[in-house]
Amino acid sequence: MLEGLKSFLPPALPPDVMTQLREDAQVNSAGYDPWGLHVETLAKVLPAARFLYDRYFRVTAHGIERVPAGRVLLVPNHGGQLPFDGFFVALAMVLEGRPPRVVRGMVERWFPSLPFVSTLFTRCGQTVGDPRNCVELLRRDQPIMVFPEGVGGSGKTYWSRYSLQRFGTGFVRLALETKSPIVPVAVVGSEETYPSIAKIDWLAKLLGVPYVFVTPLFPLLGPLGALPLPVKIDLYFGEPRVFEGDPDAADDDIQGMVDAVKGDIQRMLDEGIARRADLSVLNLLPGGRPPVGGRP
Amino acid sequence: MTILATGVSGHLAPIVCDLLAEKGADVVGVDVRPLPPGRAFPGEFYTIRYTQRRIAEVFRRHKPKVLIHMGRIRGTDVQSSSYRYNQNVLGTKHLLDLCLKHDVKRVVVLSTFHVYGAHQHNPIGLKEDSPLRASQIFPQLSDAVELDHAATSYLWRYRRIETVVVRPCNIVGPSLNNMISRLLRLRNVPTLLGYDPMMQFVHERDCARAIQLAVESDKWGVFNVGGEGAVPYTAAIRLAGGRPVPIPHVVAYPLVGSLSRMRLVFPKHLMDYFRYPTVISDESFRDTFGYAPHYDSVETLRSLRAPATVGTR
Repeated sequence: MLEGLKSFLPPALPPDVMTQLREDAQVNSAGYDPWGLHVETLAKVLPAARFLYDRYFRVTAHGIERVPAGRVLLVPNHGGQLPFDGFFVALAMVLEGRPPRVVRGMVERWFPSLPFVSTLFTRCGQTVGDPRNCVELLRRDQPIMVFPEGVGGSGKTYWSRYSLQRFGTGFVRLALETKSPIVPVAVVGSEETYPSIAKIDWLAKLLGVPYVFVTPLFPLLGPLGALPLPVKIDLYFGEPRVFEGDPDAADDDIQGMVDAVKGDIQRMLDEGIARRADLSVLNLLPGGRPPVGGRP
Repeated sequence: MTILATGVSGHLAPIVCDLLAEKGADVVGVDVRPLPPGRAFPGEFYTIRYTQRRIAEVFRRHKPKVLIHMGRIRGTDVQSSSYRYNQNVLGTKHLLDLCLKHDVKRVVVLSTFHVYGAHQHNPIGLKEDSPLRASQIFPQLSDAVELDHAATSYLWRYRRIETVVVRPCNIVGPSLNNMISRLLRLRNVPTLLGYDPMMQFVHERDCARAIQLAVESDKWGVFNVGGEGAVPYTAAIRLAGGRPVPIPHVVAYPLVGSLSRMRLVFPKHLMDYFRYPTVISDESFRDTFGYAPHYDSVETLRSLRAPATVGTR
């Protein structure tokens, strides 16, 4: 039966890709880079991840060839409660990237206290979102992924979907300091995976997590309701933006560059939403179809 | 040239002393403990506590030009925190004062990466200017942090002495008997279920060479010293030939707490080093001293079960 399941799942990474990924990450004699990336572990979980990518969410990556070689910052919008958007972007880069690359996602600081998941994420190249980690990884020419909206983006309720929250200026300073291009990324569909209708602040405080969300199905349907809705996902990779300037300039001087990236993402989001099929069932939820241009 | 070395009854210091003696240095050894039975020392040896006034006589008689302070007493060996505080903090200050008084030219102090503290917020590749969180998280480690601090403040205050503070990662090897080497030599090695932090290991010979480089150079400063790279704790256990035995942390913490009070296992405050990464960057040491480890991570960990090269462990 296990064999049957294996043939159902798509194949893992070809050996030459594995070798290239190990070289890119500059792993040591034991096969690990200092952050804990282990290409063999990544390859082991890829078939399951690929099932989610190809069949469950039917992800389409548009313009992935725009991601330049060498150090680069991928900057996607953030939404949909659980960081599935980061998962899709990272998977797109390793499965469809030219060449395939392991994106180093930046996770929340409370994350390492979670057993199992934090270990698995670490082996797949994710690390704590500390500026010193970002700088070091970029210095080693790794592609990193940051969400300038942070939990403010992912924890939104359904009616503020696709409206970009406040962007920090840190990612632009990072790009200026390390002379890295920024690739804006729009993720269309992740907001509907968990349509959150409420947040339970006291429970979040009790559990020590950033937020606890409620959807029409979760926790009402129990574990079944905890499954993400199988929404079709579209990823749009924008033209890389290369900024020049003083990384220590005042916020006012940086803000223009931040807004340029934010504008790129919002534009790609609007186009992507207009282009996709009507999500009629979800439109029955309060808020209806998301307005083009985001909400104020 | 006469070199005064402390901590020579331990297992790392004799490797350093042998390296220096081979190069023709006169090595004088001091330790709070007597030499282990059957061990020869390449020079004169004294059993004196670092706080005793008698230690001044060693300076007067031998007029050392270099002090290598490798005599930090570890919490895994001596539980009494007041004894450790006296020897590690007051003793170190006493030794450094004597260096000033007796015109010692160069001081090398062996600290530890533990001073950075294991914390979930730690970035990977901690640099020398990172905060020393250890004393805030684990008060039991405050003597180690204060020893480091005493050395660094001498470094800045008295510039006529060239001071090097070395903060190595986990030192392992066939001759060593420290907590991490003993742990990795077990058949079944406890781990915390669901956690597998990146850890760094430097071979005893590489660490001894690093100290030798620090002694022979004219550069000064605070430096991390690492091995070839980092490996997850469970991978280190397997490479060393053991088997990881995961224990849920909700059970492990109280269990180790009560067992360590009976002195059966290592102290509880070290548990977090097996839960969160404390990965240091030794880029600065490599650039300044031209250091590169001879042993890679795999060789380093595999060497643990080899027979001891210096003394018996």
